[in-house]
Amino acid sequence: MKQPTAETAPAAAGDPATAQRVESPAREAWRMFSRNVPALLGVFLLALVLLATLYGKLFYGGDPFEIVWAPYEPPLTTPSVPLGTDYLGRDIVAGLLTGGAPTLTVGASAALITMVIGISLGSLAGYYGGWVDNLLMRITEFFQVLPALLFAMVLVTLFSPSLWTIAIAIGVVSWPQTARLTRAEFLRIKELEYVTAARAIGARNRRIIWKVILPNAAPPLIVSATLTIGVAVLFEAGLSFLGLGDPNVMSWGLMIGANRDYMLDAWWPVTFPGLAIFVTVFAVSLIGDGLNDALNPKLRGR
Amino acid sequence: MTPLLEIDNLRVTFDTRHGMVTALDSVSLHLNAGETLGVVGESGCGKSITALSVMGLIPQPPGRIAGGSIRLNGEDLVGAEPARLRSLRGSDVAMIFQEPMTSLNPVLRCGDQIAEAVMLHQNVDSARASRLAVELLDRVGIPAPAQRARDYPHQLSGGMRQRVMIAMAVSCRPKVLVADEPTTALDVTVQAQIFDLLNEIQRDVGAAILLITHDMGAISEMADRVAVMYAGRVVEQGKADDVLDHAEHPYTRGLIDCIPALGRRDDTLREIPGVVPPLHLLGDGCAFASRCAHADRRCLAQKPVLTKWRHHPVACHAVEEGRI
Amino acid sequence: MSLSFILRRLGYGVLLIFGVVVLNFLLIRLAPGDPAVVIAGEMGGATEEILDRIREDYGLNQPLTTQLAIYVGNVLQGDLGQSFFFNQPVSRLIAQRIGPTILLVLTAQVLSILLGVFLGVIASRKPNGPASAFVSIFATIGYAVPVFWTGIMLIILFASVVPIFPIEGIQSVRLRDAPLLVRGLDIAHHLVLPAFTLAVVYLAQYARLSRASMLDVLGSDYIRTARAKGGSERAILFKHALRNAALPILTIAGMQFGNLISGALLVETVFNWPGIGRLAFDSILRRDYPTIMGVLFFASAAVVVANILTDLSYRWADPRLREQ
Ligand SMILES: Nc1ncnc2c1ncn2[C@@H]1O[C@H](COP(=O)(O)OP(=O)(O)OP(=O)(O)O)[C@@H](O)[C@H]1O
Ligand SMILES: [Mg+2]
Repeated sequence: MKQPTAETAPAAAGDPATAQRVESPAREAWRMFSRNVPALLGVFLLALVLLATLYGKLFYGGDPFEIVWAPYEPPLTTPSVPLGTDYLGRDIVAGLLTGGAPTLTVGASAALITMVIGISLGSLAGYYGGWVDNLLMRITEFFQVLPALLFAMVLVTLFSPSLWTIAIAIGVVSWPQTARLTRAEFLRIKELEYVTAARAIGARNRRIIWKVILPNAAPPLIVSATLTIGVAVLFEAGLSFLGLGDPNVMSWGLMIGANRDYMLDAWWPVTFPGLAIFVTVFAVSLIGDGLNDALNPKLRGR
Repeated sequence: MTPLLEIDNLRVTFDTRHGMVTALDSVSLHLNAGETLGVVGESGCGKSITALSVMGLIPQPPGRIAGGSIRLNGEDLVGAEPARLRSLRGSDVAMIFQEPMTSLNPVLRCGDQIAEAVMLHQNVDSARASRLAVELLDRVGIPAPAQRARDYPHQLSGGMRQRVMIAMAVSCRPKVLVADEPTTALDVTVQAQIFDLLNEIQRDVGAAILLITHDMGAISEMADRVAVMYAGRVVEQGKADDVLDHAEHPYTRGLIDCIPALGRRDDTLREIPGVVPPLHLLGDGCAFASRCAHADRRCLAQKPVLTKWRHHPVACHAVEEGRI
Repeated sequence: MSLSFILRRLGYGVLLIFGVVVLNFLLIRLAPGDPAVVIAGEMGGATEEILDRIREDYGLNQPLTTQLAIYVGNVLQGDLGQSFFFNQPVSRLIAQRIGPTILLVLTAQVLSILLGVFLGVIASRKPNGPASAFVSIFATIGYAVPVFWTGIMLIILFASVVPIFPIEGIQSVRLRDAPLLVRGLDIAHHLVLPAFTLAVVYLAQYARLSRASMLDVLGSDYIRTARAKGGSERAILFKHALRNAALPILTIAGMQFGNLISGALLVETVFNWPGIGRLAFDSILRRDYPTIMGVLFFASAAVVVANILTDLSYRWADPRLREQ
């Protein structure tokens, strides 16, 4: 027979909410994430892509623009060009290893720009409400009307393609979603007791926004940031595919675009870069889903 | 006479992230034709789970009926075929839910929702069902029933919606009407009206009512018999007057003390200290021990069983040992 | 839904479209270099004569506000400028290509919603079953595959391995003068691969969304009420649940429209589909700014219209919003 221990009896008498939360939310989120097999697969795949992009050149040198072999060399036939060559005789492996850098850089910086714009505008709108909210939301709606890829294409063409232009263009077309999410979170959180309490003790608006509300709005924003990286990568790939990327930098999208006219002669130059894009975005969204499950308290069981 | 509805040793478990918890444990209740059985207890005691078990509506998974039986006219509902359960639901056993605000489908007209219940169990066409729906709305005291039938739920007040729920529930003249806190979400004045309506309906239809509530006052007005639940178990059971006048279990006494009119007449608002422990933290002892002034070592170590004591069955070591 | 609401919504739409016009105007002026040269595009060194004509037409020597007034006035008259590359008015270029794009986008939209909702509903029946697992995996994959690459893979597949669908264009040359029905079938035949390519991404998203939405709805109180009435699983799924679950799907469908146009741009490029996406691609390669701006204007206006339609149908579908 069990004696009442410190664990059962007093907890039973106390507030059930505190009794259930034996570990901190961050730890619990981490525990859930680290048990989520698809999310771990995502981390593994993304690590693979990052390592290949960062350190691939150390083990496999070669200029992706250089013509090293006869054109249309099929994969797995020649040891010096393991995945074959494209229509000009350029090495596909070299392209894959260097082609990730612009995509990932643009993806990450575009996501950053998106989050900065989106969170700033969304938090202002949600926190202050009134005409500020009204104005900012009308601007947001306006930007949501523009078909994103088309608008990004226009921006890139008008302001000459470089990695920066592309990242900014993607950021400019992607922020409305983040702004809306941030606003919704702010609207929800600013009504909660602890915000009223912070206001009651005379905290200034800046402090409430940054120190009180934003940290509590973080979970969905973290998830959204992750997914935004995936979207930005797809954007960059699409632009490069259309020939609107930086022409001096080899990227996965560019490889597909350049070899598109010859795809019926050789499937490999268009297939492998596409797989690389797919694996990257797939990994990122697996991670995003995993974070969502781990951070979204609604999904946690009773 | 065998009772109309007989719940015997019912045990319901849920899979949760804390492992399997037992939401109902050895619950035995019976309901005779035409009578009202009150089930009382604080929030989280398992009252709704009991009601849903009768309806065969325990969400599975995570829930599971792990043992016991529920017999309606001698027919066990626990192992019954889904099709058989469907044909009983709404016709022989019907239920009124706790939340009139969310229990009606927001995109369907009130009249259609009642007519649907009629058509499911009676052989009538839709025009006739619609007319019956309007009659039912009239019967439950809704003014301008023909117009209200065309309204959507959000256009009605909480009390009106609960009347619609009642109309739907009694549309097929059920033998057992389960009312799960039918008035909790309503204003005090509306509460009294709804109880009056339930009494009338019961006289009309002759249904037996399983009235779930956490309000001892409602019990004294409505119920013939009462079962007091705590943390998934029945802790005291008997004739309503008897239990109210001679409450034995400290928990029942606490509940009675909460009603100003029946308890001591001082001005302080009374309540039982502490809260119902979460199911996964239930130990081996009496679940009420941590809140009980009479608890001793035995209470913390061993679960009391429901045994007939002075007036009626009680599950309490202190009563058994004569300490209270 | 009141007329004044519709009018307000339309007025706001007009305002948004006006915003796009102003944005277009500003973009040309913000671009580095002489706006006349920008407008002339890369025509292999536009002559002074042409540049002068452009300056005249667009009022480039006058103050910015006058320029804007001229620009807006032109757009109001349906004049989106002159494409120097195609040597045609932009509005005519767009008018010629709008049909194929609408056909492609609407087919893809309908295909993805129907299939996606179907998959999602099936998956929601068993939230932990194989169908659910399939839907989530498929949704993640569909989301991660670049749409232009899907198209290319399908072209390679259908060009050599199973040549049953045409892989480019909108109709066969030899059937240009065939009877209407034959031509229609021919176009439908050509539509299969591009529409499917475009649909895959959104199909996956709709499947995932409708699964989540259905699960949400299936756990709600009114579904429990429908079960308590004794409704069949089918009635519960389609009559009670899907109608409610469709509301968020409708919202997303409206919001996706802009993305769908972006996707169509890539798909049209890959499949040589003669729509405005292909036109945008061609004109961007030639830096034919009037055409690019015209397409941007037109596509944005289409999104505004789609949003208004969604908004109105949403309000019509949800009785809670109907009389506001
Ligand atoms: N789906 C579920 N998963 C896990 N536990 C559940 C589930 N549904 C109910 N429970 C648990 O079963 C216990 C009894 O719940 P029930 O709804 O019957 O309480 P109740 O007595 O009706 O309370 P209230 O007065 O609030 O309606 C609660 O402790 C609850 O946590
Ligand atoms: Mg309940």
